[in-house]
Amino acid sequence: MQKKSIWKKLTASREASLVIVLIVLCAVVSIFSPNFLSPTNIGQIFRNNALIMVMAVGMLCVLLTGGIDISITSILAFSGMTVGMLLKNEILSNTFLLFVIATAIGLGCGILNGVIISKGKVTPIICTMGFMYIWRGLAYVVSNSSWASGSDVAGYSDFGKDGSAGPYVILIVVFVLFFILMKWTKFGRKIYAVGSNAEAARISGINVDRTLTSAYAVMGMLSGLCGALSVAIYASAQPNMQYGKEMDVIAACVIGGASMNGGRGTIVGTFFGALIMAIIAKALPLVGIDSIAQNTVKGVIILAVVILNVVTQRMMDRQNLERREM
Amino acid sequence: MAGKSGRTIQAVPQNSVKKMLLSWEGALVLLFIALNIFNTIISPSYTLTNVLREMPKYLAEIFMLFPMAYILVLGDIDISVGSIVCLSATVACMASNAGLPMVLVFAVGLLVGVACGLVNGIILTRFTELPSMIVTLATQIIFRGIAEISLGSGGSVSLKNIDGFNAIGGKLGKVPYVFFFVMIAAVIFTVILAKCSFGRKLYAIGSNSTAAYYAGVNVQKCRLIVFTLMGLMAGFCAMFLTSALFGANTTTGQGFEMDVIAMAVFGGIATTGGKGNLIGGIISAFIIVLLRIALGQINLNSQLILVIIGALLIIAVLIPGVSSNLRARRKMKTTA
Amino acid sequence: MKKKVISIMLSAVMAAALLAGCGSSSSTTTTDTSSSETETAAEETASEETTEAAAEAASEAGEEAASDAVAASGDATGKTFAIVVKSAGNPYNEKEIEGFQAVIEAAGGTCVVKEPEAATADAQVSAIQSLISQGVDSISIAANDENALQSALQEAMDAGIQVSCFDSKVNASSRATFVNQAGTQEIGQTLMDAVYDITGGSGQWAILSATSQATNQNAWIDAMKSIAASDEKYADLELVEVAYGDDEPQKSTDQTQALLSNYPDLKVICAPTTVGIAAAAKVLQDQGSSVKLTGLGLPSEMAEYIGDDDAHSCPYMYLWNPIDLGQLAAYTSIALVNGDITGTAGDSFTAGDMGDYTVVEADDGGTEIILGAPFRFDSSNIDEWKDIY
Repeated sequence: MQKKSIWKKLTASREASLVIVLIVLCAVVSIFSPNFLSPTNIGQIFRNNALIMVMAVGMLCVLLTGGIDISITSILAFSGMTVGMLLKNEILSNTFLLFVIATAIGLGCGILNGVIISKGKVTPIICTMGFMYIWRGLAYVVSNSSWASGSDVAGYSDFGKDGSAGPYVILIVVFVLFFILMKWTKFGRKIYAVGSNAEAARISGINVDRTLTSAYAVMGMLSGLCGALSVAIYASAQPNMQYGKEMDVIAACVIGGASMNGGRGTIVGTFFGALIMAIIAKALPLVGIDSIAQNTVKGVIILAVVILNVVTQRMMDRQNLERREM
Repeated sequence: MAGKSGRTIQAVPQNSVKKMLLSWEGALVLLFIALNIFNTIISPSYTLTNVLREMPKYLAEIFMLFPMAYILVLGDIDISVGSIVCLSATVACMASNAGLPMVLVFAVGLLVGVACGLVNGIILTRFTELPSMIVTLATQIIFRGIAEISLGSGGSVSLKNIDGFNAIGGKLGKVPYVFFFVMIAAVIFTVILAKCSFGRKLYAIGSNSTAAYYAGVNVQKCRLIVFTLMGLMAGFCAMFLTSALFGANTTTGQGFEMDVIAMAVFGGIATTGGKGNLIGGIISAFIIVLLRIALGQINLNSQLILVIIGALLIIAVLIPGVSSNLRARRKMKTTA
Repeated sequence: MKKKVISIMLSAVMAAALLAGCGSSSSTTTTDTSSSETETAAEETASEETTEAAAEAASEAGEEAASDAVAASGDATGKTFAIVVKSAGNPYNEKEIEGFQAVIEAAGGTCVVKEPEAATADAQVSAIQSLISQGVDSISIAANDENALQSALQEAMDAGIQVSCFDSKVNASSRATFVNQAGTQEIGQTLMDAVYDITGGSGQWAILSATSQATNQNAWIDAMKSIAASDEKYADLELVEVAYGDDEPQKSTDQTQALLSNYPDLKVICAPTTVGIAAAAKVLQDQGSSVKLTGLGLPSEMAEYIGDDDAHSCPYMYLWNPIDLGQLAAYTSIALVNGDITGTAGDSFTAGDMGDYTVVEADDGGTEIILGAPFRFDSSNIDEWKDIY
């Protein structure tokens, strides 16, 4: 009886199956590269992928409402470039203030996304596609074809330096905060409600438009934050930074079990999904795969994990059905 | 991605002339004319000869608009098309360099496209729970990855013998051949979508796939066909693109998926499925292409061109939402 | 109500940020134009100009005395000269444009600048087609792909446009000549010697490149490999891997860290790419690693990491002056348009105060004009260069 309940627990939760995938991945990589799970390496995994992990939290909120946001890396570039230029032209050098400014820019971009999507009844992918071009273009305008680099951001980049706690603190704060927000507050429950059934949510008195807008605002805010973080971690701001990485963020969420139709997905799952993406990125050069083939392997792994997700889901459903028949 | 709350089928064709003029397509025609006048004013180089000469590369992209419209009508999306173009162009160039005759090279290019489309289609129809966005995202990485592997460390292949591709890149008078091919494809795809039962099925699936399923439409078969068609047309795009580039590299076709989706959406095809038609898509494709050409001719900053296109896109999709909002408000006022 | 106030405030902040961004960019553009205006005047030497002149003089190793930065060679009045760089938003490209523009405008010509939205051959084909429509007199291009621009460039030549390339070449049949920043063999030799010097003559080293299809990267890497194989001197050096960071900071960081953990005995990383070298320098310096770095990088990006002690990751690196490269490309275009040269080997012309240059045979069957030897940046001179480019 005891045994059965553990088995049930394992198969009944998506997070558990993700943990299994993670363990298998780590085990395989450790065979090729024995010191893969060393503390420095693990630290680097989180630090190098802090951006994708933080943005995945925002993307989860958006996916939960049944939407999508592909303008995130453009927002990141816009806010990051603004920070870089403020530093380069020596207008501002207070780390905290710069983070606030970047986050505010992101929030503004996100609110604009949200308002157009909710009030203008525009499909999210199209609205954010338009803004993807616009924010990225503005990043180029702000940069005026220059980069902010090492010496320009000298004091500021200490925050994201290898060994500094900065990125880890942000990572932990964001995940803990949103774990609580999504699980136990009105904000979180409203997002789930709108995503599961917008009509029902409306009837039960939830302001659907405002909830939608807030989801995109959160997404924008976190992207803006990541803009500042990115400049700190890589000690460089370039207008094309993180180009195309929005797809990695979406993949992280979907691997973590978020549904693209809305209503399904958890912060814990997203964390594991992002971690799987991070480990793939870290491990590919380590296991000695030819660097030209690395992209292909990454794509195959994403596809395999996503399909695996479906297969386990089907098995779960079938088991549940059998149980009911018994 | 099927509709959640009782959406009605709005794609039933209506034959009123007045309605047509007031429709989105009518507005697009007017915009098309206005744009040409605007372009002639801003750019002294905006002549028919120049536009026709600059066009082939953009025309190649329009091949993919047609099946992309089908996919959007279904309520799906395909973001792997740029990578399919890359892989198909790469393999075709290699086949040509291996000494294959042009006819076979062309066939190989198309076959690679079809194979890629089929892979997408099979995965999507075998695992119907998976959103097309995520599957084509993965195959986007994989297809380009395979091209990267076959291109090796050089990352680029160029044609040794350009005669064959030069021939398809040729012109009849001033008009490039590819223009005629695009027009033929446009007619075929438009007629199928608007007049044939297959097209009607696509609208039915896009509006409500469960309802379509119970009405006897083989939903998965339709999706498989459409995604395979997408691959085929990506193959066509690759062939004509190669006739302009005489080779392929790892960045070939990068970003095409967004260009094509933007054209379709600007033409009034909704990404939620079940709405829009190809006539609008084709006009809007030319609007975007001509705008890019003219803005390029006055040497506007390339990033600003993208900002303008992004802004136009948002405005275009905002108009229907805002106008229906206004109409609803007016109705409320009159009833009150 | 409270929420509304907050959201209004936020949007105001954003609008302000937007304005600030636009403001700063427009102010810098005005300084740009003013500087080019003073350059057109040519007699007045603004402070910026003198530094440029000093920079040039230094890079030419005292070959020419520092005089006016830009002196017109031949007349270019009424002609239009186009420059197509690899992509927008890159300071290295920006410096090339700066040099090109200054020379053309000093000579009385009109300068057209094309910066494609992405570093792809597709985007450059569109740019070239657009330039043909505008009927420019010459195109000078830094190619994203050696062969893919052939049909577009041949069409340009058929339309009577003088085509040359600089920085990154196109194949021999689609150019009149190539303005080469430094001979491929020369760069290979210089970098190999740097690796030899820093390792102390033996040990493991690795290359961190940009993308796998970057033409000039591959040419330099091949040159390094063949030099290493041909000379007994380098027998004890072991090239363990060529990694590709795709010119992305994040991927370059991952690749560098992977090199460090895969090869504990690694002594030197050589990164002949500006993005890669900066990312690798940061990783090495942050970790306090004993692995050293060399390669090709922008002084402004690398100033933080160059130094002889253990606290700095890069003892020295190389690059040429992109402003000089742009200027030489401009002089070449003017000479081609005026018919002073045709791009055949043996032609020679005067590139303003940069001196006389001769067109020579290139390895690929075409011709090229070589700017000079790559310039070495180390702790002694980095401070004076970091503000220039």
